[in-house]
Amino acid sequence: MTALLLDDVSHSFGDRVALDHLTLDVEPGRVTALIGLNGAGKTTALRALAGRLRPTHGEARILGHNPADLPIDVATRFGHVVDTPLIYPELTVTESLRCSARLHGRPRQAAAPAASAAVGRMGLAPWRHARARTLSMGNRQRLGIACATLHRPTALILDEPTSALDPQGVVLVRELVRELADEGAAVLVSSHHLDEVARVADEIVVLHGGRDVGRLEPGGTDLEQRFFAMVLEADTRNADIRTANARTADTGSLA
Amino acid sequence: MNLRAALAVEALKLRRSTVARIATALLVLLVPLGSVGMVALARSPQPVGPTAAKLADYATGDLATTHLLVCAQVLSVAALAAGGFFVAWSFGRELESGTAGALFGLAVSRGTVALAKCLVALAWIVACVVLTVAVTVAASAVVTAVSGEAFGPEAWAGARNSVVAGVLGSGLALPFAWVATATRSQLGTVGALVGVVSLTQIVVLLGGGSWFPYAAPSLWAGMGGAAAAAAVGLPHLLLAAAVAPVAVAAVVQAWRRLTNV
Repeated sequence: MTALLLDDVSHSFGDRVALDHLTLDVEPGRVTALIGLNGAGKTTALRALAGRLRPTHGEARILGHNPADLPIDVATRFGHVVDTPLIYPELTVTESLRCSARLHGRPRQAAAPAASAAVGRMGLAPWRHARARTLSMGNRQRLGIACATLHRPTALILDEPTSALDPQGVVLVRELVRELADEGAAVLVSSHHLDEVARVADEIVVLHGGRDVGRLEPGGTDLEQRFFAMVLEADTRNADIRTANARTADTGSLA
Repeated sequence: MNLRAALAVEALKLRRSTVARIATALLVLLVPLGSVGMVALARSPQPVGPTAAKLADYATGDLATTHLLVCAQVLSVAALAAGGFFVAWSFGRELESGTAGALFGLAVSRGTVALAKCLVALAWIVACVVLTVAVTVAASAVVTAVSGEAFGPEAWAGARNSVVAGVLGSGLALPFAWVATATRSQLGTVGALVGVVSLTQIVVLLGGGSWFPYAAPSLWAGMGGAAAAAAVGLPHLLLAAAVAPVAVAAVVQAWRRLTNV
């Protein structure tokens, strides 16, 4: 069964089209990376998939269910960090993780060990008693990812998970994502870091103008070049379509 | 189990909340101080002119009962204000900062989180009200003992009225949780709170307060004088009390249907 699915999803913010008939699915045990320029629709796609946005057309599914209203047994297997993580500035690192464990359905007795394991896993031990508001941006990002994954989800969405991380943090997140996928989780990651995407993803989807404009193989050293070539081709194709439409309209008005 | 988890999380956030700490200190210290101080001022030779006229109701009568009368009147508005500020923070900041989006797809549903927020806010503000009345009773007992007067059954009735007025004021704060959800703004919610308090003043001035839920507790506590207090009966107070459960139902529903966060 497809674990993460966007089926013919379109969404507009006013006149601006953010997603244009996007179809995307992630199978269990696979890491799919979503790449694109700023404003390509990556975050909107992830928000729709997490249930945070009701798309104007199409539907999203998490483990076969409507993400805006997940049954408890499905929700306990789902994790996401899109934009803002589940972190409150007044809580300490350990408190944030315990709260997250409880909200992900872990019983009270299991929350403390889960939080402790996540602290160790994400290299947050020196800051375990620090308030979240005092953390650096990188450590905040580590904490956010820890909060979203400490229940070992089988469906996971991460939006730019390494954007603020140091090289050590990047490796930690990469290992975590690969480990979860190897355990059978379906992972959808958006990123600008093409090198990182090449290392972690099984499949790369290129999003441009809210549309899926093609797939890239993660291997090889020329990923950046292939990405820009694909984006340029999509722009050229769009320009051609617009020109043809304009000619058709002109011909129609003359007739 | 899920509500219990949400209550634990929201209670921890409340304990760490600067808004709750400041509001607790202001209620528990300033209201008793104001209650005893206003009566002392009213019975001293200092107040003249408009001040004396305003304090005339407190210048006579049983000392302890008057302390608790002032306490009830102040608390009916102060509990509303404190509760309103707290729910503006508790609900509004989730939507302003984006953490509301992180509350999607959890084992604890958004409706349960919203319910827990309301219950924690209500429990906190009611506890503050009870503590405030207890401190006022203690302060009044000390003042009456020093001045050789008795702390009698009427004063205890005044304490009970203070708790009722405060609890009703607390419940009236919960609609602002819905306002915070609708406006997605803490400051917008505080603005609405100020607006409702101002509207209440206008309604009272026009003489239509007893059926207006936001005016009924204060009028019943004697803020509009003895005649206005007598005009407020059980139906008016029940109407004011009904605001809280309606507000909780509305805000839970709004959080269930939340989108575009």
